[in-house]
Amino acid sequence: MGGILKVFDMLVWFPENISTFGQELDNLFAIIYWVSVIIFFLTFGVMAYFLVKYRYRPGRKGYNYHGNNIVELTWTILPTILFAWIGLYSDDVWARTKYSSKVPQADVEILCLGRQFGWTFLYPGADGKFGRNAFTDRTARNLMSTTNIFGMDSTSADGMDDFVTENQFRVPVNSNVVIRGSSIDVLHSFFLPHARVKQDVIPGTWMAIWFNLFKTGDYELACAELCGSGHYSMRAEYKVVSLAEYDKWLDTKNAEVIGARQPQPTPTATADTATVASH
Amino acid sequence: MSTTALSDAETAHDDHAHEHEHHHELPWYRKYVFSTDHKVIAKQFMLASLFFLFVGGAFALFIRWQLAYPGQPIPVIGSILPTTWVTEPGSGIITPEFYAQLLTMHGSIMIFFVVIPLALGMFGNFCIPLMIGTDDMALPRLNMWSFWLVPPAGLIMMSGFFTQTGYAAAGWTSYPPLSAVIQVPSFTVSGQTLWLISVFMVGFSSIMGSLNYITTVLNKRAKGMKLFDMPLTVWGLFITAIMAMLGTPVLAAGLAMLFMDNFLHTSFFLPDNLVTSSKYFGGGQPILFQHVFWFYSHPAVYIMILPLMGIVSDVLATFSRKPIYGYKAMVFAIAGIAFLGFIVWGHHMFQSGMNPLLGTTFMLSTIVIAVPSSIKIFNWLGTLWRGNIKFTAAMMNALAFVSMFIIGGLSGIFMASAPVDIYIHDTYFIVAHIHYVLFGGSLFGIFAGIYYWFPKMFGKMLNESWGRKHFYWSFITFNLTFFPMHILGLGGHMRRIYDPNVYDFLKGLGPINEFITISAIALGFSQLFFVFNILYSLKWGKKAPRNPWRANTLEWAAPAHPGHGNFDTDITVYRGPYEYSVDGRDVDYWPQWEPGASISVHHHTVAVTDGKDTRTFGAH
Repeated sequence: MGGILKVFDMLVWFPENISTFGQELDNLFAIIYWVSVIIFFLTFGVMAYFLVKYRYRPGRKGYNYHGNNIVELTWTILPTILFAWIGLYSDDVWARTKYSSKVPQADVEILCLGRQFGWTFLYPGADGKFGRNAFTDRTARNLMSTTNIFGMDSTSADGMDDFVTENQFRVPVNSNVVIRGSSIDVLHSFFLPHARVKQDVIPGTWMAIWFNLFKTGDYELACAELCGSGHYSMRAEYKVVSLAEYDKWLDTKNAEVIGARQPQPTPTATADTATVASH
Repeated sequence: MSTTALSDAETAHDDHAHEHEHHHELPWYRKYVFSTDHKVIAKQFMLASLFFLFVGGAFALFIRWQLAYPGQPIPVIGSILPTTWVTEPGSGIITPEFYAQLLTMHGSIMIFFVVIPLALGMFGNFCIPLMIGTDDMALPRLNMWSFWLVPPAGLIMMSGFFTQTGYAAAGWTSYPPLSAVIQVPSFTVSGQTLWLISVFMVGFSSIMGSLNYITTVLNKRAKGMKLFDMPLTVWGLFITAIMAMLGTPVLAAGLAMLFMDNFLHTSFFLPDNLVTSSKYFGGGQPILFQHVFWFYSHPAVYIMILPLMGIVSDVLATFSRKPIYGYKAMVFAIAGIAFLGFIVWGHHMFQSGMNPLLGTTFMLSTIVIAVPSSIKIFNWLGTLWRGNIKFTAAMMNALAFVSMFIIGGLSGIFMASAPVDIYIHDTYFIVAHIHYVLFGGSLFGIFAGIYYWFPKMFGKMLNESWGRKHFYWSFITFNLTFFPMHILGLGGHMRRIYDPNVYDFLKGLGPINEFITISAIALGFSQLFFVFNILYSLKWGKKAPRNPWRANTLEWAAPAHPGHGNFDTDITVYRGPYEYSVDGRDVDYWPQWEPGASISVHHHTVAVTDGKDTRTFGAH
């Protein structure tokens, strides 16, 4: 029996799940999938049986019967109950993964901007706080330009240690990560297949994207919304690392930022240049 | 259509027509080109849409080649492709820019120039007047215009080729800001600008056609025909027309706004602070377009399938020699789907960034659609039950519709569930679903309809044996092409990507992509059976009798190849359209136009000869 079922098990095609809510989403998929398989075989079975049993025979006469309201009512109510159950169950999972009120307290907060064609990330640096930029202050959006896409204010003290990475980012394992995503040109979609995360990012709006990953390793980020001819190449990599390794990496980055700032005579004017030094 | 067929139309017009000599002979261009005859307009829709079907199909094969063999030259025609399509002249390797244009044009052509014109334009025009027993549409000139907007619209969309940016390349959904193409200066015509004008025109054609259908159904039914005596085909078309009337103007508004963003650089959909070199105003909201677009385009999905549901119901009843099971339930299910179709558009936008609370609303309303859909499936199965089923080409295509709709419907539940949609959204799972519904559903339904009404359209029978070959090849290669796409989707394969090999997590899916492409090529070539069959049958087909399928509906009361004016007798309707295998009759059908009394006993109809009992019970 198990062997037969394996043939129909399409769930093996999923990439490995590494996120806390991913298992829940996969389970829901599995439930709907097996319900569908059952319905498929029932309806196709009935249909095939009728097609064979009632196939044309010269002497046979069709059965003039216009239908029965009790039967109609039955096959209205039964699917209603089934689908209502699927709907309510789904809503439960949906609320937990996507509702704004359910976004957890962030252990790590990163800004992410999509552009044609790549992803840029902004980390708050050693102080864990973002300086004044297009996300933290709406008025700073006027500073956004091709050389300063996050609209960072170079005079902001908290922003001194903020640093940027291009097409790669790093997150610690078993931590609540909140990514504030947006775009500078067209729609993109932030898709982490292994983490079961997908969220369109919209220019002019910051979306909260959260996840908590339980497995270390190297994974990929893809764009899932057509964004132009280079859509396919909008790939980024991310590393899920242990907390210790993550802290070490932050320290290295911090040193880089300070290093980049050293030769400058007036530190306040250099936040921009520091952030350009990526990975 | 061939001139032979049309001149046949005039001869088959027979002696009867000459009795009405009061109308003078029309010049040829009024008969074949700018005709107001609904049947000629239907044939024009058929010809135009089948032409576009092959254009759209060819585009699909380009896409498939690139996905299976990225970076390899297209075989056979690769060296003669236009230089703007390929990486370097003669290389035969298509560029990412052209790939984006291909997927956009494939979707747009198939939806706006194939399925909608075939489902609504061809069948609406051909079936409605004949099946309600009248001479023509209520507004024949409007009808003519509804067709004559389509070919120029097609030309305009295709002429995107000649613009600097090539064809439109923002997907058939054309989400701004991408579709606003603000990197080019304002007042520049891009492929996208032409796309917007073209779709606007097609929408206008839809509105005119729908207005006409609604008016005709409400005002021109034959004597004695109540609304609930109409065949389900007419019900499907009627309700679809109402949907198109309500939805298309909204699309038109969205397109007009996007046109202004695109051409004049206004900012209905363009937010502040885009990092771009071109000047524009700012302050708009990109998601607004998605709401407006899907408010039409979700109902449009049903516009593309409800008429076929009606057609399939009629074909199933005729070839099972049985009344449709639960006629009224079927009508209410169509109406229910149509109503729900207007309140579910947000399910295309679960991951778009709209408030997730709205996701809950749209998820629940979407899942409810599964209920009327299952009612339809069960009633179709009920129709087959205890029938005497004849497997004609029309019937097999109708059965394919039912079975593929079951698969497409079931895969729809996955997307309806918003949390499951997080992962499969914008992957090939969606592509598989839409093709199961629109190809497996609509297109097989369209085939069923063409096989069924071809005799009435052209006065010749389609060749059954070629029809069966076409069916088997299409059905098998269709499933081999589109079923594996579910697997691609589960593997995470995004839609609309030029080269899947860029991603490590998609590396294992290469062989599946290759398999799909080979099947798709076979599927494409299978359609040649169909073209061949049509051409062959037009020339050498058996002459069709008046009622070849021994069916009940009014179109079969008309002459074998009706001319202008349709009927040669006065039509009065005595009963519902599905009185097959009635007890007390010698033959197993009982046409709507044939006088006679019957009584209804426990959902069975029994013919009575007793002169005193003149009650006529319909199919309900």
